[in-house]
Parts: sequence; C-alpha cells; structure tokens
Amino acid sequence: MRERERDMADTGEFFVGILVAVLGLVGLVLASGALDDEIYLFGLSLAGFAFLFDMMLVKKHYDRADAARVKVRHD
Amino acid sequence: MIDAHAPSAPLLTAPPIYNEQIVKNFTIASMFWAIVAFLVGCTIAAELCWPGLSMGLSFLNFGRLRPVHTSAAIFAFGGNALLGTSFYVVQRTCRARLFGGSAFADFIFWGYNFFIVMAALSYVMGYSRGQEYSEPPWHVTIFLVVIWVCYIVAFIGTLIKRAEPHIYVANWFYLAFMVTVAILVLVNNAALPISMYSAHAYVAYGGVQNALIQWWYGHNAVGFFLTAGFLGMMYYFIPKQANRPVYSYRLSIVHFWSLIFMYIWAGPHHLHYTALPDWTQTLGMAFSIMLWMPSWGGMINGLMTLSGAWDKLRTDPSLRFSVTAVGFYGMSTFEGPVMSIRDVNALAHYTDWVIGHVHSGALGWVAFISFGAIYYLVPALWKRAGLYSNKLVAWHYWIATLGIVFYMTSMWVAGIMQGLMWRAYDKFGFLQYSFVESVSAVHPYYIIRLLGGLMFLAGALIMVFNLIMTVRSPSTQVVGRSYPAVPGGALMAGE
Repeated sequence: MRERERDMADTGEFFVGILVAVLGLVGLVLASGALDDEIYLFGLSLAGFAFLFDMMLVKKHYDRADAARVKVRHD
Repeated sequence: MIDAHAPSAPLLTAPPIYNEQIVKNFTIASMFWAIVAFLVGCTIAAELCWPGLSMGLSFLNFGRLRPVHTSAAIFAFGGNALLGTSFYVVQRTCRARLFGGSAFADFIFWGYNFFIVMAALSYVMGYSRGQEYSEPPWHVTIFLVVIWVCYIVAFIGTLIKRAEPHIYVANWFYLAFMVTVAILVLVNNAALPISMYSAHAYVAYGGVQNALIQWWYGHNAVGFFLTAGFLGMMYYFIPKQANRPVYSYRLSIVHFWSLIFMYIWAGPHHLHYTALPDWTQTLGMAFSIMLWMPSWGGMINGLMTLSGAWDKLRTDPSLRFSVTAVGFYGMSTFEGPVMSIRDVNALAHYTDWVIGHVHSGALGWVAFISFGAIYYLVPALWKRAGLYSNKLVAWHYWIATLGIVFYMTSMWVAGIMQGLMWRAYDKFGFLQYSFVESVSAVHPYYIIRLLGGLMFLAGALIMVFNLIMTVRSPSTQVVGRSYPAVPGGALMAGE
C-alpha cells in the first residue's frame, strides 16, 4: 500500500474509531441507569461492540505498518 | 443514444482497487443469516403443527420467535445480501472505490449485524414493539438509523466520485431502496420513550392513524426493501450471468419511476374492512392494481434479457435461480394485486393464503435472486475458476423449488379453506364452524408447509457446503493466471 493511501486509511480509522468510542460511552451510560433488562443488555453490548471494533482498528493499523516495514526490508 | 465522438479513454484506464473485502463479509453474513432464518422458520412452522414444542419456555414461544424469523429473513439475510451487492455493483458500475474508506465500510458491516443481533435478542426477551416488520425497540432503531445514514453516505459518496458519466439503472433501484427505507423507518418508529433508560415507548400515533402509518411502512418495506433493492440486483446480475445487455434500458427506467411512484400508495390495502375511511382503502386497492403494469414490465425486461441465451439455463444452474426468481416476482406481483381487491380480500385476509403469498415472494423472488447473485459472486470475489460443483447447485435448485411449491400450495388450500369456513353460515344464520374447527382442519397443510420449509433449508445447507468448498477446494484454484478471466457479461451491466 502506498504511503498516501496508508495515511488516508489511518485518518479514516481515526474518525470512525472516535465515532464508535462515543457510541460505546453512550452504551455505558444507558447500562448504568437501566430501568429494565433490555436497556441493560443493549448498553453493555454496545460498549462491548465499541471496544472490540476499536481494537480491530488498532490491530489493522499495526498490521499495515508491519506489512509496510516488511516490504521496505524486502525492497 | 451512443455518442460516437465520446472519448474512449476511461475504458482504457485500469479500474481502481475495489473494496471487495466488505462485499465478502456481507456475502458470508448473508448466508449465515439465511440458515438462521430458515431454521427458525422451520421451528415455528413445527410449533404451529405441535404447539407443545415450545415446552412452555417464553423465549421459544411462537410470538417471540416469529419476529426473529421475519427479521432474520428480511433484514439479516436479505439486508446483508442487499448491502453487499449494492457495494459490489456501485463500485464496478461507477469505476470508483467505495467512498469513506475501509474502516467506515467495516463499521457499516459490523454495526448492521450488531443491530440484527440486538433486535433478535430484544424479541426473545419479550421487548417487541408489536408492529409487524418494525419490532425493534426505539434504542435499537436509533442505532440502525446511525448505521443506515453511514450506508447512504458510502453509497452516494461513491456515486458522486464515479469515473463513469452514467449512473447505471441498478444503482437507481438501490438508491430508492436505501432512501425510502430511511424515510419509512423514521416516520413509522416515531415514539416517545418513558425514559431514556427504559425500552418502553409510546407510539406517536394512535388508533387507525397508527394502523395506516404502520401499513404504509409495512407495504413499502415490501416494495422498497424486498422489491426495489432486489430489482437492483436483478438488473446487474442477470445481464452479467447471461452475458447479454438488459433487454430494454428504456423500459428499465420506466419500470423504476412508475414502480416507485405507485408503490408508496398501496399500503391501505392491508386495512380493508377496518375503521380506515373507505376512500383510503379504495385508493390503496387501485394503486395496488395499477402496480401490475410496472411489475410485469420489469419482469418482462428481466426475462427477455435472456433472449439469445436461453440455452444457458441448461448449463448454468445459478442463472436458473435468477431467472426463476424473476418468474416468481411476476407471479407474486400478480397475486398481490388480486388479493388487494376488496372482495377477494374479504376471503383472503387473516388466512394462511397471505402467508403463502408472502413466501412465494420471499422464497421465490428474494431468496432465489440472492442465491443467483451469491453463486455468481463467490467465485468472482475469492478469485476462483468457478463453483465447486454445478451439480450441487442443480440439486439445491430443485430441492428449493419443490419446497416452495409444497409451501405455497399447502398455504393456498389452507387459506382458502379457512376463509370459507369462517364465512359459512347454517340455515339458522349461525356460524357453521367454530374457530378451533378451522384450526384443526388446516393441521395437515401445516405439516406439508413444514416439509416445504425443511426442503428449502436443506437446499440452503447444500449451498453453504458448495460455497465453502468453492473457496477452499484445490479443484477450483485458478491455474495459469493470477486471477480468473473477467466474468461473463463484463460490459453488459453498466461497466
């Protein structure tokens, strides 16, 4: 992947990551004040979804960086 | 008209690197949810035959599992197929990579499937809103709205940055699907929660207004989710599979505009003989009958695309799925308007005829056109030489088709019998049959329906096996080039 494309991917991941993190926080707020099982489960699941999704973005970022390093070494 | 002086340079430039991973994800999810939907469908069909099967457990109750089945079939199986194919089609017909980047696309994929899981959990926990096809509680719907807006942004963003001057007709249908569904969901789900920490909410509308808006939503969910979106699929994948251009591009445009104008008015036919004003019922009925015209225009366009390529139906069983789907589309769009006629509706409404009608559309049209597209997509996406086994595709086709026939015919007989039994009077003017007698009378037909459903499920399991083997088997590996030849019809569908 070219450097410019990598930068664009990083920028996209940053903004999507922030959006998902905000959703995760909303989930925690909902779970904290839940009046029924449904909201409690939804809130916690949303927070879990956000955590896993953001971890996936972090992993993708480092996978890309590793791949670029390996490519430079081979070139 | 083709401009002979138009610059041909864009055709000579290399296509961009498309985001195919997102299409792969949606394809896998679509097949996963298809199995879930069919399995739950068979479970509740069995519960209708033998109600004791729910074992008294609340989460296995028919009322809770039914929306799991409908949502899994429509939004999970159908939705993933639509989102995946729309991303595939828009990138190729616009010669542009998907707008927003891969993280944005991943968010749409994972978010959409998270919505489905959350909706299903809310149903089995007993938190359904109780409005058909619109069951998710308010907070789950708001999450869906966030995902849907992102989906629209990704799609329209790709259209805006397209390298092709023309927007291919399939994209118009996909666009109608996503924009109208957004409007429908926003209006029909208007509600005031009793607290932001509670799943309970009061619907914004009351009485017959609520019923009207619900069926404006409900019928247009059929019209724009289950019809317009899948017509987008038809207009791209059938020309590709048949290696022929669309029979009449002009007819496809007429089809588009007339369909979207007429469908939106047809909802009140769900409310014949209710408190809804008579004129509104008649309006719904009249527009439903008028819908014959664009629906059959579209069907003819889809079928005639095979002109000169009918022989392919013998050799390409996946194309057989797509073409049979168009046949079912024609049949169910004929049956629907017939059932919307007030006098026919007097017999059909609340009977299993309606269930048979819905499934001729859902299994025959929606599922078959999706199967055809997925059989085409998997070798193309995973860069395989072809499908693992065409014989298995043929087995899938015949088992599934027979399953639909069992399903539909049993429901026709059961439904018409129910309708006749409910309206039968004896010579003293009393009802001739009690309700439970009509329930008992349809029992054998419910068992036949279950058999049809099991056959459809068996066909889908064969498909999953075939697709997994297509991706994994050494026999489908491409030998001698780095990727397979451009699939048939590369230039036939707006590319």
